[in-house]
Amino acid sequence: MSALQVSYLLVLVPALAAVATLALRRWQGPATLVSVGAALVSLLLAVVGLVVAPVRGTDLVPLRGSYAVGGLDLPLQLGAGPATAAVAAVVALVAAAVLVFTRWYLAADDRLAVFAATVSLFTAAMMLVVHSRDLVLTVVGWEVMGWCSYLLIGHWSRKESARRAALKAFLVTRVADIGFVLGVVGLCAGAGSTGLDTVVAAWTSDEAPGSPALRSTLLVLVVIGVLGKSAQFPFQDWLPDAMEGPTPASALIHAATMVAAGTVVLAQLFEVLVLADGARWVLGLATAVTMVGAAVLALGQSDLKRLLAWSTVSQVAIMLSALATTTRDVGPDPALFHLWSHAIFKSLLFLTIGWLSVIAGSTLASALRGAGHGHPLARVAWLFGLLALAGAPFVVGGLSKEHVVVTAYEGAASAGGPGVVVLAALLVTVVLTAAYAVRAHLVVSAPVPNSPIPPLGPDTPGPNGGIGEKSTGHAGMPSAPVLASLAVLTVLTVVGGLVLLTGLFDVHGASVWWMVLTTLLIVIGGGLAWLARGSGDPRDQFVRTPRHRALADSGFGADTAYRALVARPVLGLARVVAFLDREVVDGYVRGAAASAGVAGWLAERGHRRESPSAGLGLLALGLLVAAGTAVLTWR
Amino acid sequence: MTSLDLAFAACGLLAVVAGLLAVTTRQVVHAALWLVVALLGVAGCLLVLGHELVALVLVLVYVGAVVVLVLFALMLTRAPIGPDLAHAAPVWRQAAAAVAGAATTALLLAALVPVAGSAVERREISNQAVATELFGTWVWPFEALSVLLLAALIAALAISRGRAGEDT
Amino acid sequence: MIHLLGPYVVAALLVGLGVMGVLARRNAVLVLVGVELILSGSLVLLVAAGATAPSRWEASSVLPLFVITIAAAEVVVALAVILTAFRHRGSIDMDEAL
Repeated sequence: MSALQVSYLLVLVPALAAVATLALRRWQGPATLVSVGAALVSLLLAVVGLVVAPVRGTDLVPLRGSYAVGGLDLPLQLGAGPATAAVAAVVALVAAAVLVFTRWYLAADDRLAVFAATVSLFTAAMMLVVHSRDLVLTVVGWEVMGWCSYLLIGHWSRKESARRAALKAFLVTRVADIGFVLGVVGLCAGAGSTGLDTVVAAWTSDEAPGSPALRSTLLVLVVIGVLGKSAQFPFQDWLPDAMEGPTPASALIHAATMVAAGTVVLAQLFEVLVLADGARWVLGLATAVTMVGAAVLALGQSDLKRLLAWSTVSQVAIMLSALATTTRDVGPDPALFHLWSHAIFKSLLFLTIGWLSVIAGSTLASALRGAGHGHPLARVAWLFGLLALAGAPFVVGGLSKEHVVVTAYEGAASAGGPGVVVLAALLVTVVLTAAYAVRAHLVVSAPVPNSPIPPLGPDTPGPNGGIGEKSTGHAGMPSAPVLASLAVLTVLTVVGGLVLLTGLFDVHGASVWWMVLTTLLIVIGGGLAWLARGSGDPRDQFVRTPRHRALADSGFGADTAYRALVARPVLGLARVVAFLDREVVDGYVRGAAASAGVAGWLAERGHRRESPSAGLGLLALGLLVAAGTAVLTWR
Repeated sequence: MTSLDLAFAACGLLAVVAGLLAVTTRQVVHAALWLVVALLGVAGCLLVLGHELVALVLVLVYVGAVVVLVLFALMLTRAPIGPDLAHAAPVWRQAAAAVAGAATTALLLAALVPVAGSAVERREISNQAVATELFGTWVWPFEALSVLLLAALIAALAISRGRAGEDT
Repeated sequence: MIHLLGPYVVAALLVGLGVMGVLARRNAVLVLVGVELILSGSLVLLVAAGATAPSRWEASSVLPLFVITIAAAEVVVALAVILTAFRHRGSIDMDEAL
């Protein structure tokens, strides 16, 4: 089986599974079995893809020719490469783990099959984006992901907050997608083809179709779309709100698919991006602001699931910052490697907190205190996931973060661009990440378990407005497949760094000095959190007043800012347009209607009387109008 | 401004004022009589323009025949002597008619005034020349016209008699 | 020497008055008076057109004669129609429905 056939199958199998699951949705059990089976098949395919992955630099012969649409070349082809195979493998792995977990977690949900179908479709879309060698296919996958995320976040649509979160996610990413689509259209129009290789070749050649400023502008537009999808500043606020969705959906969105898709697309366009200084500056500054701000917010969250959400925002910013700072020699692979490791440990963390929340009945930190007692596997998984998140040396997250730091350092040292800013932000983020990771660990493994909290129904919000988790009705011990998948993810979190030995990711070696420095920073951050633990949650030492807590939980009030800066002006503009439409444009139409009515009334009156003088009057009027027209148009 | 202009202005004024009275007066018989005056004014205008034969024919045919016919018709339809209040049009309709008339005048003026130009020499046309042309070049239309008159005569007779049985 | 503005203005005014008469009158016979005024206006225009420039075959004199004759024939027929209508309806009010 060739690598190309694997890539086509990896897109088709989840897509067909989604259709089949949806068709079987009346029989929940078989339907979810179909989707889980398809996910396992695609995982197997992805492993095969890893084996047959082409060596770097070899050109794959496409399976068929391209279509010509007008003046545009439309190849509509998929491709495969070493990094692509690795990312596809991790996407398949996360999707399979999420589906297995969903079967247990949402067992009592009456729309389980629909959820599973959406997850499969989501996976297919991500696979499409990963394998796409055609920007049109990329946009298709991109949009399908946006739609699926809307469905998944709003899965519990009976909850007002879930509906609002889904709408918010959809609208925010949609606004940013305007930039993405415009940028893609500009790139394709300049190159005369939608094929990725043609586009990259056209825009990197010396006689590029546009000036460097135009190239930079188009890339900035693409970067805006990526910032929206990846929940980066200033679009960051939809992702924490998306925690209203079921935990498996969060795991999928955060770990492997939607927020990481931007990294994949920018890595595909890397050759052009590295030439577009404006786009790199926009990307670098936005990610630098995001990674620090999100890490601070993660430290202050009262809800551990939202803590994970902010950590995702921060980690995705780290991935994208690698793309913003890397040089042409280093390439985009450090970012893809961080995507790979982040997918593994973040899905592990989300699935674990899903389990813990079933035990505790809520995702609030106060409810989760000591939830890890009596569940050693959950505690181990949580610990290793947090170690990877904090970037401890040699676990997968630590290795990839080292590479990002080194990449940023090399970018700052050798080339211009936002390298210095990003490097500083990265080092600050390392400290903060260690702090909130230690905090999350302390909360879960606290020695004194809380008094048991009754499980919450799906429609009741958690205490203090926290995110109500669905009660599954069982005693909190997951089924064997779930435990197995968690174990696999845990093992991969520890040993996943070995992927570097396969040469799938083309990254340079990390330097020992940087590793020592970051370890020092991690110890400082973790130690601060440890010292601040006091008798309870370390957070209480950092955010003391209720006002600060509210500010942290609302993400620095970004939602209010969206309302004031975007929603209200847009609504005002809409009102003005509606007024103009109703009162001005419609005025002519209504005037025409009214004059026709008056003319009709007059004619009707004239006819009703059937008097000769009325006819005479009409005749005279007609003649007068005709003569007037003749005279006025005479000259 | 020449003497011809003055003479024309006088005749034209007579024609216009009489025409105005003919269309506005309440008394039906007076309307017909004002029409006579207006047509006389028009005949004067034609005379000033140098077409004496046309002017004379106008007086003969219109004033002598048509107006008499009109008067006869008025009498036969039992027109009242004095103001005809029963058939007075409402004020709004008179105003509308005046507006339509003014619009027509304005239209014609808009078309005609730009081509008026400056004063020109009047051409005298002798009756002999007219007669030569009429019975030479125009003789066939002239004959056709006589047939038309005959047809009109018979048609008028036929119409006013009505069909047998309907004549009440 | 004569200005052509005079005949044009008189013709326009006569036609306008005729239109006004046609539209304002309810008596059918008086409508005919308006028609006669319109015809006389056109007559003035026709004659004025031939009064200055040499006209081929003396059309400016002959055609007015034809117009007058045709108008006479028209008036005869119109009056006959009006009289018949009066005999049928007992009225010549143009505002009355047929």
